Amino acid sequence: MGHGDLFTPILMGVMLGGLYALTALGLSMVFGVMRVINLAHGDLVVLASYGSYAVLTILGLDPVLGLVITIPVMFVIGVLIQKYLMSKAVTIGAEAPLIIAFGLSLVIQNTNQIMWTPLSRGINTRYSQASFYIFHRQFPMTYLMDFVVGIVVMLVLREFLRRTYMGKAISATAMDPRASRLMGVNTKRIYYYAFGIAMISAAIAGTFLGMTFPFTPTSGTTFLTIAFGTVIIGGLGSMMGTFMGGIILGLVQTLSAYFLGANAQMLVLYVVIIAILAFRPQGLFGR
Amino acid sequence: METEPILKIENIEVFHGTFQAIWGLSMEVRRNESCALIGANTAGKSTLLDTINGVLHPATGSIKFLGQEISKLDPFEIVDLGITQVPEGRRLFPEMTVLENLIMGSYTPNARKHCKENLKRVFELFPKVKDRQKQLAKTMSGGEQQMVAIGRGLMAHPQLIMIDELSLGLAPIIVDEIFRTIHQIKAQGVTVLFVEQNVAKTLMEADRAYIIETGKVSLSGTATDLRNDKNVHKAYFGV
Amino acid sequence: MMGIKMHIKPTVLLAYIVPTVLLAFLPMAGVPRSWIIYTFLFAIYLAMSNMWNLLAGYSGLVSLCQPAFLGIAGYGMVIGTWIGIPWWIGLLGGAALAAIFALLLSNAVFRLTGVYFSIGTLVVPEALRMVFYIWRPVGGSMQGAGAGYMLRGSAATLSPSYIYWMALAVGLVSMIIMRIVLRSNLGLGLAAVRDNERSAASCGVNVFRLKVYTFMISGAVTGLAGAIYFMNMGYIEPSASFSVKWTMAILLATVIGGIRTEEGPIFGCIVTVALYFLLARYGGYSFLIQGIILIAIMLLSPQGIVGLLRKMKWYCKLTAYSEG
Repeated sequence: MGHGDLFTPILMGVMLGGLYALTALGLSMVFGVMRVINLAHGDLVVLASYGSYAVLTILGLDPVLGLVITIPVMFVIGVLIQKYLMSKAVTIGAEAPLIIAFGLSLVIQNTNQIMWTPLSRGINTRYSQASFYIFHRQFPMTYLMDFVVGIVVMLVLREFLRRTYMGKAISATAMDPRASRLMGVNTKRIYYYAFGIAMISAAIAGTFLGMTFPFTPTSGTTFLTIAFGTVIIGGLGSMMGTFMGGIILGLVQTLSAYFLGANAQMLVLYVVIIAILAFRPQGLFGR
Repeated sequence: METEPILKIENIEVFHGTFQAIWGLSMEVRRNESCALIGANTAGKSTLLDTINGVLHPATGSIKFLGQEISKLDPFEIVDLGITQVPEGRRLFPEMTVLENLIMGSYTPNARKHCKENLKRVFELFPKVKDRQKQLAKTMSGGEQQMVAIGRGLMAHPQLIMIDELSLGLAPIIVDEIFRTIHQIKAQGVTVLFVEQNVAKTLMEADRAYIIETGKVSLSGTATDLRNDKNVHKAYFGV
Repeated sequence: MMGIKMHIKPTVLLAYIVPTVLLAFLPMAGVPRSWIIYTFLFAIYLAMSNMWNLLAGYSGLVSLCQPAFLGIAGYGMVIGTWIGIPWWIGLLGGAALAAIFALLLSNAVFRLTGVYFSIGTLVVPEALRMVFYIWRPVGGSMQGAGAGYMLRGSAATLSPSYIYWMALAVGLVSMIIMRIVLRSNLGLGLAAVRDNERSAASCGVNVFRLKVYTFMISGAVTGLAGAIYFMNMGYIEPSASFSVKWTMAILLATVIGGIRTEEGPIFGCIVTVALYFLLARYGGYSFLIQGIILIAIMLLSPQGIVGLLRKMKWYCKLTAYSEG
């Protein structure tokens, strides 16, 4: 591990940041609109990873093409979760959504464990193993794909929220549910769609995460922590902030792997997230 | 002139949980008039507006709009039928521009069809709003926000527009300007129901008024009659 | 300093002590070993469940970092046996370490409310697990993953009956603590904070200090119960202690019994430990079923078993429960 070449970890960190931002999108949307932090978010992303894995190994279909299947499935799952679990949970009490999300998290983790065993899996396609070269240094192709996909999805989502009536209704409901209702917005239905859209981004994130890193049924906690950290650093409500948050965490991870070794990277990441929570919960960019 | 009420409320009782806010209230709003609800802060006026709009539902009683029973409908259905509320405190979407707020107002299918013509109408009624359409809503002054809020209400293509606490926090000169615009809106065929604490002003501007006290109608009549009513004078003007 | 008035009715005290004493005789009564194990686990879970109920049910702090407390206390106790201090000092020392940890954590987490608090506390055991994988405070380096420690010294040869009685003791203590705290000024303050923090603050409640005390009590007793558990196991390692499985079990026990009720944890632990025995052979399905039960209970009967019991008049009379 040469100490002269910072370029590699920095570029890797930035690219990784795109993926982390993508993972955080769904969490951010659910919180922004429904004011609920979905503790099961990470596990839902892993569920999508397993879904893509299944598409590849059982159907023999390329996982990115397979998104044609995984996206609708995750969308429906999202709508069902909001409709039958979360919307009821908020009426019960303050701790109910947290506890139910926690229960959901474990149900998903253990379902995955039963179906796929605790063995770690990876989504390996021909191109996910490839590398590309910049300035004579080698980088995994997956990292580049992650970054590009991250940016594309974020831009698409931003335009959707700004230009379509449905998107505007989602933004409006996030800002002021009562006023939105007075505009004729069916906020109950908006919540379903918001969760569903969050799950669409989770499907994409899960697929690309699965191509980049090996995953196990318990990876969800890690993804949740990273997604949450990203959202916190970026400050809620700002898509640019989420993107920057992802990049910052990506850099923290790659640079600490570079300087302190691979074992330390996750620990440093966690410590950084706890520190931000402790000292600046409103994030670096938040309002 | 024959005026059939476009909104007819009969004997409704409304609860906030176990607390009863409205007791056996009946009233009506006639087409093309400006009708006022006057009363103290906790009298139940905002609750009444929320109930008409479907945010709350009456435990008993009926609310009929254009002959149709609406007391059990959801807010978005009632807005589509033609009733819109300009809520207390304006409640604009702070991070959206003025234009985006207005367009958000024409969300329902019925309103969307008339979006362009309503936008033109709002800009004609409120030239200041037209000038500031690209500004973020939260950067506007109180008076301007109220104009945007009313404009947003009009974008829903309503037959009845309900305005809650119109003059709250606004300078008298702005309030006058807004009331002038309300007369224009009325002239264009929209019925106006508004809630006010400023009794004297209201009785100058409205056609008819209801005085609400502790969730019941205590007095009602044309503005002229009420202006001359001894009880009103005693209670609200101290004379 | 807040006055903690210690009034606890003699009848209630008896109702707690008598069964405990009876249960204490089980090892001598020649009952099947599984009964002892069941009661042991019940007492440990009861202590942890009560402490979580104190935080989540009564203080509005849905803490997901209980494993941090029990792990720290457990490690403290086990390492104590390596450095040669008497086992009971190690035990209490471990609990004290957990309480100190809670104190240190307070500064960080109590700026957070609601969900932020929960996620913040979720991350802590995870981080600790990673720390203890890498870090070995005493003893040489170990091959392979999992920096585990075996119990050493006199603690390792302690009669299981002793450990069993200690478990019963900590379970009993947790019930008494709940009863005292909830009827004290501390309890009143907590209820106020839970309902409306700002109003409570403006009434002169020192919100932060309240939360810290509660967090420390919860940490200490959870730690103590955890340390006793690991004393029984004879071995501790990161994935067994800093594991979300503990959180799941504690949550389930409290919610099934009835969150924010005093007797809820008793019912909940009876059921949860029974479930543990019944489902043990099904491995992975066990947690799946527990997760489903958790969701179902929360949706269908948010007040758990106690909620159902309270619908019956005889129960309300028995526990002097009134709607007011």
